[in-house]
Amino acid sequence: MFLLALCAGALLRRAVAQDAQWTMPAKDYSATRYSGLTQITTANAARLRPVWTFSTGVLGGHEGQPLVVGHTMYVVTPYPNVLYAFDLTQDGYPLKWKYRPDVDPNAVGIACCDAINRGAFYAEGKVVYDLLDGRTVAIDAASGRELWQTKIADLAKGETTPVAAFVVKDRVIVGASGGEFGIHGWAKGLDLATGRIVWTAYNIGPDSLVLARPGTFRPFYDKGTDLALTSWPKDVWRRGGGPVWGWMSYDPSLDLVYYGVGNPGPYNPDQRVGDNKWTASVLARRPADGSLVWAYQFTPHDSWDYDANAEMILVDLTVKGRPRKALVHFDKNGFAYTLDRATGEVLSAEPFVEVNWARRVDLTTGRPVLDSTKLTGASRGNFKHICPTLEGGKTPAAPAAYSPRTGLFYVSTNNMCMDYLAAQATYIAGTPFIGAATPYHAGSRGDGNLGAFIAWDAGRGRRVWEIRERYPVWSGVLATGGDVVFYGTLDGWFKAVDARTGHLLWRFKVGSGVVGNPISFTGADGKQYVAVYAGIGGDWFLLAGDVRSDDPADVRPPADFSPDLARHTSQGGIVWLFGL
Amino acid sequence: MAVRPVRTLLPALALLAACRSPAPAPPAVRYGQHVFAGGAAPAGVTLENPYRGDRASAAQGETIFGAMNCDGCHGGGAAGWVGPSLADGRWRFGGSDGAIFQSIYYGRPHGMPAYGGLLLSSDAVWKLVTYLQSLAPPADLPTEAWDTSAR
Repeated sequence: MFLLALCAGALLRRAVAQDAQWTMPAKDYSATRYSGLTQITTANAARLRPVWTFSTGVLGGHEGQPLVVGHTMYVVTPYPNVLYAFDLTQDGYPLKWKYRPDVDPNAVGIACCDAINRGAFYAEGKVVYDLLDGRTVAIDAASGRELWQTKIADLAKGETTPVAAFVVKDRVIVGASGGEFGIHGWAKGLDLATGRIVWTAYNIGPDSLVLARPGTFRPFYDKGTDLALTSWPKDVWRRGGGPVWGWMSYDPSLDLVYYGVGNPGPYNPDQRVGDNKWTASVLARRPADGSLVWAYQFTPHDSWDYDANAEMILVDLTVKGRPRKALVHFDKNGFAYTLDRATGEVLSAEPFVEVNWARRVDLTTGRPVLDSTKLTGASRGNFKHICPTLEGGKTPAAPAAYSPRTGLFYVSTNNMCMDYLAAQATYIAGTPFIGAATPYHAGSRGDGNLGAFIAWDAGRGRRVWEIRERYPVWSGVLATGGDVVFYGTLDGWFKAVDARTGHLLWRFKVGSGVVGNPISFTGADGKQYVAVYAGIGGDWFLLAGDVRSDDPADVRPPADFSPDLARHTSQGGIVWLFGL
Repeated sequence: MAVRPVRTLLPALALLAACRSPAPAPPAVRYGQHVFAGGAAPAGVTLENPYRGDRASAAQGETIFGAMNCDGCHGGGAAGWVGPSLADGRWRFGGSDGAIFQSIYYGRPHGMPAYGGLLLSSDAVWKLVTYLQSLAPPADLPTEAWDTSAR
């Protein structure tokens, strides 16, 4: 009994120490984005006030999140990927150092959707992150000195690297974007000490390249060998896309790393007959050697650009009366999936937004039941009103959060549908490989609102509450032990809401639209703080081309489906800190 | 991820095949809009678009714009996407015939690929220039107004 109490006390202290910091993109390996800190509550959140700001000097989309390690905060900017280290023990939080890498400016034109960066990972005294031009760097967290850098990707092949690196034990796991440039998508495992590439695992191709080894690879639904080769036309797989630009998670007891794979290329599905495995899929790999253990394809033969790069949140849930080691995933395709994270079995799949490309997901086969009138292709004509859009029912850029206190997931969603006109695409190395025009419009649910922030019960597969937003919600989410949930909006509001009711507790206008992810930590003064980036961009650099003002030679009309976003925001990167 | 307004046209491969013979590279351009230190301009030529104003050439240029995946970065109608708008009458690297030609033929920093030589002949680049010059910018470009009470 005494021993038990002692252990519980140690566990609690460790949890508290962990909650004081934010050392990896999603807070923990389970990707919950939940902080157990409790000082900010539903009762006092209305008294939140800004306590500190910092201009990053960069205008690109500020996705990702700061890290706090001990009493140092680390901020990675979009291109040119400056790394700042702030001393949180000093008045005004001055810089300890900044690291300015020499990043190839050509990366800006090869990155499909603004020159963003999704953040850094802290491990063993190193801050590890990706430069946009295809390099991973490890920086000494104390001095800012570069310890190693490794070229992982090739701009000439259309590969760029905005993804957040992910560290498990002595392995740094990275991937590349380029689903719009005909890349051959992969993940790589680097040695944390030296940066040496230990393994390369392609998402597409023969088993030897995919690292699907006999006896190790056991997908729940699929049988046979070379699945990621035989589900493609001959040689088309070599430029079939399948990028890795989202969030990763890790289960230490199963020793599995999970990541989502993006769209197949080109967007015109006529050019790639077959399921196109393992695009639009989740892969579970061994971190040490990259071996594939299981894989599940959310959207076979993706004909709508439904990347599956959104986070895989690892929680233990009761599903249909049974406790399960689950993986919860809000896909671009509009379904919220609950999988068994040991095997890849689909336990439930329910639409969390308006969905009409599929009627449902068949749980015996794991395959979506398609609506054939929404199956696109250059030979099949112009399709009207497909829901959701290729921005997703939720963008993978904006990760959800899970609160163990409420048992709910908090999710930024889009309420938009699209038309889809596919066309033959020609591959030219280093240029876009796309082949579709897809104008957007507001979804038929709601009152013309283009977005909503929702609470989702994954065990029951239903919405608990929703907050309608005029624009798509593009920020990540923070859930806290005080039952306060934080998110931001494209028109520049940072909001705190009650985790149980969705009641708005507080909001503040942060100077630019929010596409970053809030975090929480304990300051040197022992007080709880919340940090978030302002700085609209990412897809909204493209979609609302009129939110920029920095280039006199680039003046664009507003997006027809969202004509007034630029009335409320312009570009600009700011780090905000809020406290009581 | 998200890339939206794109139109790619079928004759791409035929065009590519037609452009396979490498032509001599054009000479260095003197940029009329640059500031010349001491008022002294360096040697260099002024290139002129042989097809300026020719509608058939502009139409061919529009086809090339789709076939070469220009729209994947600059958007449908060249109205701007991850790359800047080429339809607003404003130019990062100069809007003279020769400056636009050089941007396409030799590429530019921040990701504009060089298309000259094998992929596109000088003649094909001039047709692209003709297409871009045919896009008339809206008259009220500098002002974007939401509050209409002042009208």
